[in-house]
This record gives sequence, C-alpha cells and structure tokens, in this order.
Amino acid sequence: MTWLARALAGPMLWGALFSAVYALHGAGCNLGWTQVSLGPVDLHRGAMWAVWAAGLAVHVLLVVTMPAGQGRARRIIVAGSLIGLVASAFTLFPVIATSTCF
Amino acid sequence: MTKGPRIDTRNDAIDTDAGIAANPPRRALPLHRELDEVWRDLPGWRGFFTSVNHGTIGKRFMATAFVFFAIGGVLAMMIRAQLATRDGAFLDTELYNQIFTMHGSIMMFLFAIPLLEGLALWLLPKILGARDMAYPRLSALGYFCYLFGGIVIVLSLLFGVAPNGGWFMYVPLTSKTYTPGINADVWLLGVTFVEISAMAAAIEITVTILRCRAAHMPLTRMPLMGWYLLGTAVMMLVGFPPLILGSILLEVERAFDWPFFDVARGGSPLLWQHLFWLFGHPEVYIIFLPAAGALSTIIPILSRTTILGYGALVAAVIGLVFLSFGLWVHHMFTVGIPHMALSFFSAASALVAVPTAVQIFAWIGTMWEGRVQFRLPMLYIIGFFATFVMGGLTGVMLAMVPFNWQAHDTHFVVAHLHYVLVGGFVFPMLAAIAYWMPLICGRWRVRGLGEAAFWLIFIGFHGTFFIMHLTGLLGMRRRIAVYPENAEFEWLNLVSSGFGMIQAAGFALFAFDVIMQWMFGRRSWRNPWQAPTLEWAMPLPAPSYNFASLPGPRQPDAGALLPLARGEGLLAGAPRGWRETLVVEPGSGRPQHIAVLATNTALPVATAGAIGSFFAMMLAGLYWLAPLGIVATLVVVWRWGAIMGTDRDHPLVEVAPGLSLPLHWQVRQTLGLTGTMVLLVADATLYGSLLFGVGFLTVVAPGWPAPESGIGTWWMLLPALAALALMAAGVVAARLAETRRTRAGGRLWTRLGLACSALALALLGVLGWGLDDPTRHARDALRGAVLGFAVVHGVIAVMLALRADVDARQGRIGADRRGAVPAWQLLQTFWLGTSAASVAVVAAQEVLA
Repeated sequence: MTWLARALAGPMLWGALFSAVYALHGAGCNLGWTQVSLGPVDLHRGAMWAVWAAGLAVHVLLVVTMPAGQGRARRIIVAGSLIGLVASAFTLFPVIATSTCF
Repeated sequence: MTKGPRIDTRNDAIDTDAGIAANPPRRALPLHRELDEVWRDLPGWRGFFTSVNHGTIGKRFMATAFVFFAIGGVLAMMIRAQLATRDGAFLDTELYNQIFTMHGSIMMFLFAIPLLEGLALWLLPKILGARDMAYPRLSALGYFCYLFGGIVIVLSLLFGVAPNGGWFMYVPLTSKTYTPGINADVWLLGVTFVEISAMAAAIEITVTILRCRAAHMPLTRMPLMGWYLLGTAVMMLVGFPPLILGSILLEVERAFDWPFFDVARGGSPLLWQHLFWLFGHPEVYIIFLPAAGALSTIIPILSRTTILGYGALVAAVIGLVFLSFGLWVHHMFTVGIPHMALSFFSAASALVAVPTAVQIFAWIGTMWEGRVQFRLPMLYIIGFFATFVMGGLTGVMLAMVPFNWQAHDTHFVVAHLHYVLVGGFVFPMLAAIAYWMPLICGRWRVRGLGEAAFWLIFIGFHGTFFIMHLTGLLGMRRRIAVYPENAEFEWLNLVSSGFGMIQAAGFALFAFDVIMQWMFGRRSWRNPWQAPTLEWAMPLPAPSYNFASLPGPRQPDAGALLPLARGEGLLAGAPRGWRETLVVEPGSGRPQHIAVLATNTALPVATAGAIGSFFAMMLAGLYWLAPLGIVATLVVVWRWGAIMGTDRDHPLVEVAPGLSLPLHWQVRQTLGLTGTMVLLVADATLYGSLLFGVGFLTVVAPGWPAPESGIGTWWMLLPALAALALMAAGVVAARLAETRRTRAGGRLWTRLGLACSALALALLGVLGWGLDDPTRHARDALRGAVLGFAVVHGVIAVMLALRADVDARQGRIGADRRGAVPAWQLLQTFWLGTSAASVAVVAAQEVLA
C-alpha cells in the first residue's frame, strides 16, 4: 500500500490544488478581493498565484522524494509524480493572466 | 505449457516460488465434485433468488443489461423514425420527450454501467486467481436493486409517466412547478435505487482487486484488466456520490419543498448541474476504462505478443482517473462562468487527451510488434479505433470554449457522445463478449454470423452518426421533435435514420449469434485463444468454484491448468464444506488469511425488496409510510451481521505444505474492514459534495437572511457540543472495547459506547427541533440536509455499537476475535469527524452572516 500511496501522491496533490484554486477563485470573486490592491496585483490574483506556486513547489518535492524501489514499480511512481506536476502546471496556468471574475 | 503469448515478466522480478511448495496431486474429478457440491447454486427458481456466486450474478447482470440495451435501442429507432422527416408525426412532443429521456437514461444507467459491473463480477476472480468476489451477498443485492429499479423505470414508459426532462434532468424543468407529475420522481428514485448496485460493485471490485489476488501476485504484475477495473471502481466510488446527493436533494425539494435549487428562495439550478456533471463526466471514463481493459487484454493475445508499455498504461489509467474529475464544467461552458474558471476546465479537458493517446499508441504499437489475427474480436477492435479516435478528436474540439459555445446543445454534441460511448464502450465490449463467450458457455460460435453483424453495426453506426456532425454544424438543436422551418436538415436526418435501421439490424444479428452460440455452438476446446491469463486455466465453461486449487507463484498463468485441476495449487478442494478463498496483502500479494464466503441465501433479495419498499412509498407519495421501508431495511440488514462471526477459535488451515493461515474470524484486517474503509471513501465524497453545495450557494446566492435560531444561540450550541462530546466518548469506548476485550468486564465498553452513541443521536434530534423552517430558504434547507447526514450516520453507528454489544454477549469477541468492533470504530470516528466539521461550517456561516 505504501507503493500505491507513493504512486498516487502527485495526482492527489493535483486534485487538492485544483480544488483549492477553484474554490479560492469563487470565494475571492464573492468577497471582492479584486478590489483589494496587493502591490502590482490584486489580492485575488495574488492569493491564487501563491497557492499555485506553493503547490508546484510541493509537486517538485514529490517528484524528487517519492520514487522508491526498482524496475516497473519505480517507473510507475515517477510517472505518477510527473502526471501530478504537469497537470497542476497546465490546468492552473490560467491564473497567470486570464481575467478573474467576468 | 500453452503456446502463444506469455505474461510479460521482463520488467518486474517475480518471486517464482516464494517458499510455497506444491500440494500433492489428487484426482481431478473427485476434487471437482467436492468443490461443486459447496459452490453450486440451488436448482430451479430457488437458485434464482438465492445464488450469490459471482459467475451466476455476473452473467445475470450482463444478460439483463443487454435486455435493457435492446429496449433502449428500440427507443432510439423511434427517435430516428420521428426525425426522418421535418414534420414527423410518429410521436407527439410529450411522448418524444419521454422517449429520448428514457433512451439516454436506459443506455447510461441500465446498460453501460451494469454491463461493466457484470463483466467485472464475472471476470475478476478468474483473472486474479480467486474463487469469488470479496462480498458475494453484496453482488446479489446489487443485482436485485438493479433489476427492480430498472423494471420500475421501464414500466413507467408503459404507463405514460416516464421521465421527460432529458437524461441529465436539469432543474428548473424537473422541479415540481414544471414537472408536477411523478415523471421526475421515477428518474430520481429509480436511478438512485439502481445506483445502489453501482456502489456495491465499486466497493467489492476495489476490495477484490486489492485483497483477493493469487498468492504473491504484486500489484505491479497484476493483469492490466485489474488496473483498469481498479481505476473504474475508484472512479465510481468518488463519481456516483455527487449524483446520489443531487438526486436526494432534488427529490427532497420535490417532495417536501426544501428549496435547494429554487432561485426565489436562495437556491440555484446550477448546483444541480455541478452535482450532476461531477458524476456525469467521470461517468464517460467509468464506462471507457473497463472497455480499455478488455482491449489491453485482447489486443496482445490476438497479436501473438505481449502488451507494449505496461507501466505507461498503468500511469495512463492513474492519469485518467484523476484528470477526469477536473472536466465536469466543460458541460457548463455556456452558463455564464467567469473566464478564468472556464480556462481551468478547458485546459484539463485538453490535457485528458494525453493519457488516452498514450493508450491508443500502446495498443497500436502492440499490434505493430506482433502478428495480428483478424478474428471476430479483432474486427470490433478495429471498429473501436476507427470510431473512438474520431470521438476523441471532436472531444478536443468541444473542450475549446469558443467552439463549444457554437456547437453547444446541437446534434454535433450528440454525434460526439455517441462516437465516444459506442466507440469507447460498445465496440470493445462486443469484442470482449466475442472473446470470452467460450469461457461463459463452453461453446464456439457459428461461423459467419458474427462478422456479418460487425459490418452491419459498423456501417450503420458511422452512417448514422457521422452525418449527425454535419446536421449539428448546420445548427440543428438537440431534443427537438420537428424542424418545419429547416428543410436543409431533412435529407441528412433521413440518411441518419436509414443507417440507424441498418445498425439496429446488426445488433439484432449480434444477439442472434450469441444465442446460437450458447444453444447450438460446438464444444469449445480449452484456451481457444492460447491466452496466458489465468481465466483460461480452468475447464470450459468455467466451473462454479473457478479453480480446484488456487494459483500461486508456481502456477502463474494459463499453462497451469492441469496442476491446478489436480489440486497442486493452494487451498485445494473444500474439505471443511465452506466457500473459501485466499486473502492477500494489498501491495505484495503475500498470503494473509482465508476468507470464508457466504453461501446461497435469500437475504440479498429480501434486502433489495425492503429497500425497494422505501423507494416505492416515496414514489407513491406515501411519505408517512416511507419510514417503514427504512425500518424493514434495518431489520433485514441486521440479519446480515447476525450470520457472520464465530463463537469459537478455529485451528490454522494448511493451504500448502509449510504454509498455514488463520481463518478470517481470527484476524483484524478482514475483507469486511477493508470494505468499510472503501465505503467511507464514497461516504466522505458524498459529504464533501454536500459541503460543496453549502459553499457554492453561499457564493452564488449572496444576501442570505441571518438565521433566527442556530449554533450561535446558547440553547443550540449546548446540545451540539454535548452531542460531539458523546460521539467522542463513543470513539474512545469502541477503542477500549477492542484493546480490553480479553479482560474481565470487557463488555462494559460496548455497552458504554452504545449508550453514548444513542444519547448523541437523541441530541441531534433536539438540534433538528431547533432549526429554522427548512422550506423558508436554501440556507435553512442545507442546514437540515447537513443535520440529516449526521442523523443517518448516527443510526448506523448505533446499529454497529449494538452489533458489537451482541457479539460480545454471544461470545464472538475473544482473544483473536473482534466481532463488529473494528467496523464500529471506523464508523464512529467518521460520524464524529463529519459532525464536528458540520458544526464548524454552520457556526462559520452564522459568524460571517
């Protein structure tokens, strides 16, 4: 079961990160965070950037630390970790520039 | 040894003997008689109502699914007859609405899902090297829920009260205001009843794959079909609860006027869409994955080689399972969602094509590397490639927001979904049926019929649906019965309808071919495809017990047919007169204990009847009588527990020379406990979906009124905190009931836990009394729903605590025996955790209001 947990860690983190950023997007629009300035960006975008960046950092950590064992077992863990990283980077990249609440 | 492809062992070290010696050989025929005496069904009608054997139940699921497929197909032909001309007078609008709704609902809920369940139930133990599924009674319960629910849904069509709001039942069209009859209730209650079978199958498929494999078969060496079905089952566990929750909420709104989806009272129709598509899009992959598993099994065998990229395919399954839950909003691109959210889901929808493409290329590579034999299953596989790839590409087109806005709700989408579902499910499943029929019935097919059926289906399908892309691009909307102003649609529709009839003839010929094979085919020889997988290491047709002795490291593939039949594998015969199978550690496959499975019983059909009585009362509007159905269900379910467990210790069982294992009554990590954990995953998803509903409505329906009563008032806060404290005390008592079970007075803890749980449940009743009127506003309705969730789990926790107490009294708890205590611990902890979260959410709502 430890092996399975290692293989699924990356995709599970993607699921958590995707849910968190989507929830943050809805909550921020509702709470008017786009009207709150945070340096060069507004609070809404800043919060989503921060969560996304932190999530990507954890993903990189998983890619480095999760692989264990050898042969096919190891390769599946590596693939799982990379799937998580690529999925988080690609599906959440719209936080960079897309308009937020309209 | 069998000629032909072998199981690929190049990339993973196999422990070839793992210290397990072979049992001495015995005569095969007496061994067969000994096992069949224990495993076979009762004869005649008694067998129909009492069988729990996975072979019987799996075949019943598949046969029933094809009957519903035929009904859905007839409805499809009626739709095509109506649309063949622009002023079609074949059906009136109301009947047309019912027919297209029923066509979609039957194909999704009564054909596709049950067919994959049936295939999984029938096949899994055979390919994994087990004698049955982990929970035979649950298999039978699922079948009867499916059968009863399906019959009610189909009968509604005959009585003219069939669902008529489209297979996704959008509100407000399906609200009481716009659908005052019982049409929508038939769908909501009927489908939920049927989905009990899906949840049952999901739990037992998961547990069977993780715990009931051959000895020392690690996950990384499991047949690919196992991986695909594991992915399917996990998706069902997480995908179905949002639909079940949505159906419950909408039925409660229709029956009791709790306004979850009523805009005027703070609800939102979009909440239904979210809950439906949280299920609906993963559903596409739930249907596709088992079919892909069949492809990954059949393609290498009919290409006379090994599968290319086992690890890549497993990774693709993992990717699909997760990514498919990030796509659901692409069904809602036109409802007015902000651009950023659209982008998230558009990106995920495009990305999911990657793991799908990995599989397609692995299969093509396998065929390229081998020598393809164009036998009947391979024809359907070629049909799959030609169809599914096109459906996938139009899917990528629809994932792009600008195109989606143009094509939304047109026949282009209808064409796309049929290319995906028929290409990705029907063609592979027809290949699977053709491939495994000799194992099902022991007979070989009649030459020529199958090929003719294939070409009729293939040509008929593409003639029907390829043209539908064009009809859609011209702007023809879905779900319209006539199009008098659009002469340009007419010839395209006429052609579609003509080919539709050809397709129907093909399916009829397929059915005829299967019946001919079953009844009149010549006897098939063993392992006719020369396949390496374990399901062919048994006589044809498959016997009731699958294997006379279970495969181990010395019997890894179909080449071990004779040694297994002679009892040289593990756990040979049925010397104790019980239905026994091996239980292993999930990752490595190391043998852990022997599970004694249930034998023939009428409990499943009785339970399905009791559950059905609740749904029937609700459907009839006899809400005051409906609780009787719940009570009846609880009484029958109590019987399930009553015949489990043992009041004495049993000696270890020698499964092979030098390897003795305990029976499951004397271990903690039983199949039952694993199943409870898996069930709680689904349960947690349902709870998470409910919290999503709370959060969603809080965001989209601002300006909610402040509560008049609530956790913030002291007289509500006090019982809430007291209930939580009692639940926590119940958790402690359940733990002590296990750790101190051998000491004098050990039963004190089960009694104390039972008292704590019962008191906590009573306090929840007090909280319910104090809530605001749930019909007032969606906010109040949601608070009622959250409390209802806690009450339902309170009832289950009390039942388990009572079960544990009775187990203690009857001597089923001892040094090695734990009775129901471990399951009670899990449920009690879950009840505490979700209830605490609910109190926190409701309190936060009040603080923020």
